[in-house]
Amino acid sequence: MIQYTIRRLFLAIPTLFGVTLLVFSMVRMLPGDPAQAMAGVHATREYIEQVRRTLGLDQPLHIQYGRFMLGLFRGDLGTSIRTGLPVSQEVWSRMLPTLELTLVSLFLATFLGVAVGVISSTKPYSVFDYASMFGALVGLSVPVFWLGLMLMLLFSVRLGWLPAAGRGGPINLILPSVTLAASSVALVARFTRSTMLEVMRQDYVNTARAKGVRQSTVVMRHALRNALIPIVTIIGLRFGALLSGAVLTENVFAWPGVGRLMVESISARDYPVVQGAVLMLALAFVVINLVVDLLYGVVNPRIQYD
Amino acid sequence: MTRKTLLLACVLLVGLGAWAAPKPGGEMVIGFGTDPESLDPNKITSAPAGMVLTHIAETLLLMTEDLKVAPLLVENWTISEDGLNVLLYVRKGVVFHDGAPLNAEAVKVNLERFRKSTYAFLLFPRVNTIDVVDEYTVRLNLDKPFAPLIAHLTHNFVAIVSPKQIAELPEGKDIAEPVGTGPFKFDKWVRGDYVRIVRNDNYWGEKPYLDSVVFKVVPSDATRLVLLETGQIHAMMRVPPLDAPRVAATKGLELLQIPSVRTIYIAFNYQKAPFTDVRVRQAINYAVDKEAIVKEILGGVGGVSDAAIMPLVFGHSPQEPYKYDPEKAKSLLADAGFPKGFKCTLYHPTGRYMKDAAVAEAVQAYLLEVGIEAQLITMEWAAYLAFLRKPVNEATFDMFMLGWGCVTLDADYGLFALFHTSEWAPVGSNRSFYSNPTVDSLLELGRVAPDPTSRKAIYASALKTLWEDAGWLYLHYEGQLNAQRTVAKGLIHHPREYILAHKAWLDQ
Repeated sequence: MIQYTIRRLFLAIPTLFGVTLLVFSMVRMLPGDPAQAMAGVHATREYIEQVRRTLGLDQPLHIQYGRFMLGLFRGDLGTSIRTGLPVSQEVWSRMLPTLELTLVSLFLATFLGVAVGVISSTKPYSVFDYASMFGALVGLSVPVFWLGLMLMLLFSVRLGWLPAAGRGGPINLILPSVTLAASSVALVARFTRSTMLEVMRQDYVNTARAKGVRQSTVVMRHALRNALIPIVTIIGLRFGALLSGAVLTENVFAWPGVGRLMVESISARDYPVVQGAVLMLALAFVVINLVVDLLYGVVNPRIQYD
Repeated sequence: MTRKTLLLACVLLVGLGAWAAPKPGGEMVIGFGTDPESLDPNKITSAPAGMVLTHIAETLLLMTEDLKVAPLLVENWTISEDGLNVLLYVRKGVVFHDGAPLNAEAVKVNLERFRKSTYAFLLFPRVNTIDVVDEYTVRLNLDKPFAPLIAHLTHNFVAIVSPKQIAELPEGKDIAEPVGTGPFKFDKWVRGDYVRIVRNDNYWGEKPYLDSVVFKVVPSDATRLVLLETGQIHAMMRVPPLDAPRVAATKGLELLQIPSVRTIYIAFNYQKAPFTDVRVRQAINYAVDKEAIVKEILGGVGGVSDAAIMPLVFGHSPQEPYKYDPEKAKSLLADAGFPKGFKCTLYHPTGRYMKDAAVAEAVQAYLLEVGIEAQLITMEWAAYLAFLRKPVNEATFDMFMLGWGCVTLDADYGLFALFHTSEWAPVGSNRSFYSNPTVDSLLELGRVAPDPTSRKAIYASALKTLWEDAGWLYLHYEGQLNAQRTVAKGLIHHPREYILAHKAWLDQ
């Protein structure tokens, strides 16, 4: 297991290397000039050229990439074009709020989604089943910014129970994380339900029932345990969706996360920050996927890592 | 007097007292759209950054909300007869937040730092040397007279910070936590979230009432409004025009309409047919109903342009409007040899200015009525700026929409960079390649003419030529739609797109 983990971590290096190459070339394919964006509408050409030289953007692309990679090996992500701060500092201070938001949403998606899915599957075609699956369909279909505003109107403006937006105590996390988690809860619930229905038809479930095992034990120990592998997979994949959904959620809820930083930096053509932010997000995604792979073994001990 | 009337009188008096006397203490929260890009005076280019900085680091002169130049850190100034020497008399008894005294040397250090910065060409193009005459007098020596200089000393680029801070700043680093002389001191900046400032108890002027002010970054207009309604913020910028009637009708909220100094225009490619023909440019001005655009699309926020600069800018003089007249437009086009109109491109940004895309669509529809088929092309902002910065032989556009905020409130800032031949892109901001020797010489004259009266006359004739030349499709100047809670008193909503809390207090 430890060996497997180490091997997987090493395998992550080429993945992240690929990410650097991809994001490096992609931001440079965007039309628009970072030197001009930084210099502003009023700047003269002379000044724009001076900015370009200072930023090293007058160098050929392979040299720029080489410098970027060299910095990376020394743990230096470069300096933000827009603010002049080290990228690592800028990205890290904005990464924490995003991780806070996405992890709470992932938690919600997992527990709420699995719970609703399991209950629905044990009472298929009941009122609860129909209602929850309809709710899931709605959760999947509504756009994040609309849902966010509606929740805000209801819980902040009308009822006055929750703060509308902004980061603060745990109470500030409720609305944004529910908004961000909605589509994932829906997906996990629907997925759990269908997987559970399939598993419930298996012979070993019938055997368990024939032995006279209690319904709750049948569901939790015999059925759910076996349905978990695909569910864990889908949850791992949802993390990526949550990270990208965070961009919109952060905007609606004035959440100072890395998603907003990325959008702002793309507008300003702040290449180093975009690169740094994407790299950190990719790293988070790789780590979560590794955790998911390791969870397979916990869920199903027959899976061996060697 | 019965007891009842006496009681009533007392209540009234107390009420009046509460109305009149500001209450000290409390924290005011102001919501705005984008995080400041920097708090280094030499680096700030956006209104949000300027708004925050204005509370911390003061400028030499002040641009008041009714757009007059008033003394601030400089009490008085004199300009020599030849216009080549400007004497600034620095206010005495002012100390920075770190205890360093404000004197001529401190001002010199700041101005020298600014001169090395990237925007010096914009504000200080003619300043050669800076001398300390005595402890409280600074002299600016110019190589040529530069009349807008005094207005430029109100710009945030030249906000004064402690010389100690400048001396201790590592080479190549920006100021992140400015130490100024302002009524508030820098406290904390959580990037992307908020900037907090606290009262400066040693302020030289009238001390502020509030303990602290928080500038909260809320990118979504709709969310900002919700925060105002729930009381999480006390004032906000940019109310969506659609929500304006509702805000105005909500108890506890106030809707405010403030002028802005930004002019929105559509420029032509001057070096490309058919826009080389003045009749075509005039026809386009007659073809578009600007009144309807301001009324229907902008909801009456702002006004129809009557010159290349907006009415509050020094040097403005109103011109005879191009009244909406499609028939006249058609006949002008026919005279120019385009009885059936022509096809062209119209580039515009989306989301940069108020309702920019909708305005472009309206213009397109009006032009179609007179036979001009304009193809609308929109671009993301950074790409758009780069596209509009090509030299004349590479420029492919026919028309484009842009705005220009004349923040110094002086005609020079709003005209020279946009119309002088020496400013043709990619060197300067004359992206439409406008060139007219008369305008060039008038704009040069406006810079060196010493007295305001003659400058006014010079700009009046420059504006007239630009208007008759149909230099742009003149559209409108923007307005700001802000809102605040009624408990927020004494806030100043400034045309520079600032909300200022210098004298604000909370009535709660």
